[in-house]
Amino acid sequence: MPKNSSVHRVKNKIDKKDITVTILFLIPAILICAVFIIYPVIDTFVLSFKKWNGMFGAVKQWIGMENYYKILTDKMFWNAMLNSVYFMVGGFIILMPLAFGLALLVTSKIKGISLFRTCYFLPCMLGTTAVALMWTFILNPNFGVFHVIENWLGIDLPIPDVLAVKTLNIWIVILVNNWMYAGYNMLIFAAGLVAIPETLNEAAALDGASGWQRIRYITLPLMKNSFKVFSILCITGCLKVFDIIWAMTRGGPNDVSSTPSIMLYTQGFSYKFFGRSSAYGVILLVLGVTLSIVTNHILREDKDLVM
Amino acid sequence: MTDTSGKRNKHKVCGSTVLLYAGAVFWTFMTLFPVAVTILASFKSKSEIYLNLMSWPDKFLFENYINANQTANAMRTITNSLIVASLTTAANTIIGMMAAYSLSRKGYRFLKYVYIFFMIGVMVPVHCTLIPINNFATALNVKNNLLFLILIYAAFNMSQAIFLYTGFMDGISRNLDEAAIIDGCGNWSLLWRILFPICKPIIATEAIFVFIAGYCELVFSMIMMTDSKYFTVSRAMLNFSSTHSQEIGNQFAFVVMSVIPMVIIYVVFHKQIEKGMLSGAIKG
Repeated sequence: MPKNSSVHRVKNKIDKKDITVTILFLIPAILICAVFIIYPVIDTFVLSFKKWNGMFGAVKQWIGMENYYKILTDKMFWNAMLNSVYFMVGGFIILMPLAFGLALLVTSKIKGISLFRTCYFLPCMLGTTAVALMWTFILNPNFGVFHVIENWLGIDLPIPDVLAVKTLNIWIVILVNNWMYAGYNMLIFAAGLVAIPETLNEAAALDGASGWQRIRYITLPLMKNSFKVFSILCITGCLKVFDIIWAMTRGGPNDVSSTPSIMLYTQGFSYKFFGRSSAYGVILLVLGVTLSIVTNHILREDKDLVM
Repeated sequence: MTDTSGKRNKHKVCGSTVLLYAGAVFWTFMTLFPVAVTILASFKSKSEIYLNLMSWPDKFLFENYINANQTANAMRTITNSLIVASLTTAANTIIGMMAAYSLSRKGYRFLKYVYIFFMIGVMVPVHCTLIPINNFATALNVKNNLLFLILIYAAFNMSQAIFLYTGFMDGISRNLDEAAIIDGCGNWSLLWRILFPICKPIIATEAIFVFIAGYCELVFSMIMMTDSKYFTVSRAMLNFSSTHSQEIGNQFAFVVMSVIPMVIIYVVFHKQIEKGMLSGAIKG
């Protein structure tokens, strides 16, 4: 008690100063977020109702909902949405099993797992652009892997540029993206796996459960949380994909491998439809916020997950 | 009875162990093969690459590296990126820690709303801010300004940092603060002398990820940097691959040069990264 009151007395002395300090400590962070996140969001919203070619001094003409109407009736917008959905599908049917399998590998008792783990994580340290260019070279029709295989087999067929074929190109980008992030997601699953008490598995093994049975009835149910984290990251992340597609295909040919964020960029910075580009921004924002709230709401039980 | 079942178990373990090794080696191959091809190709002449991309180089040529450095200014762009990444990390850590200190250690009611304000930042997709940021960068004449780029990067990593640091600080006992305050510690020294050292693990993990993000970022660098003197490495690589698409060896060399700093960081810090990820620190 006496200790406490002395603390209180000290606290009272500095109370006036205290609130000033609290605010001063917050100001840089608030300022930076307001200037670079909140203000731009509001500005995008306003600009999305206008027509503007991006030139300074040029009139920003109010055209109401026309930008949205143009986008929602544009075939390429829906194509871009479909590509985003492909990214999510790829995430769940390719990346998730792959990352989970790798997590099982690196938490098993085989020798050299720390070396394997280090290897698997390496791709996502290389940087998106470097990874994208590496694979673009390897898939190049003139000297890439297909060319090498043809040489070995001694045949000489024309090789298509796989990054220029509609649908095929987006799936190749998805595979490269999954190759890059397999190690990252492996660690998310591994974090869940190491949290499972060893004794559970031992008890099940004593009871005669096979390896698969142990995975099915012990590991998977206890890993629910890791799968949730993965799902939230995958769903919200797929909407934001930009770099890897841009570096591999520039969203082309003719926007067929674009996602909404690429469409936003090309509409604005290539075609100078800054109003329409802003409308893309608002659509992206609404989708992003809705998706993260909905996925969090459905999947989240524990409060300790990042949105 | 117990003996046989033990044996059967052992057999099974052997079978699955072989499977595990096969899987592990397969994915190691899948991971390292493209990297190895890129490194080998960076030492080959153009004609050798066209002849066979996967072969061992006849002679290790360093010309590609010299050319990449001269034509694309590889070293300069890498330096630019390293400067941007380090300053972003520093700004993010200092500003983030200060905000987290207020949010975690002070009991004022308005702080709840401030916290929600920061968490909105997590949900906003970066790309929808491109046009306004581009506009006011033009208006303020801060295009080609590395400092401005750093502020943008710091802003987009801020919410995550504040979330992690506040969470971590909440877990540190307040008795420590009270003892420090009695000893005459002000807010500033309490934060940097007492709490900062305790928060080091989470700061290190977050800082590494912010650094990587800053080094590799592409889209803001694309709209902000118009003068090739200030290109960051991702931007410069893309530019180089479209303007010098014929100089394929040089491009391979540039890619290899660009990843060297990242690989060094990875080799030095991989324990920290894996530990941070395994403890579930980074989920965004």
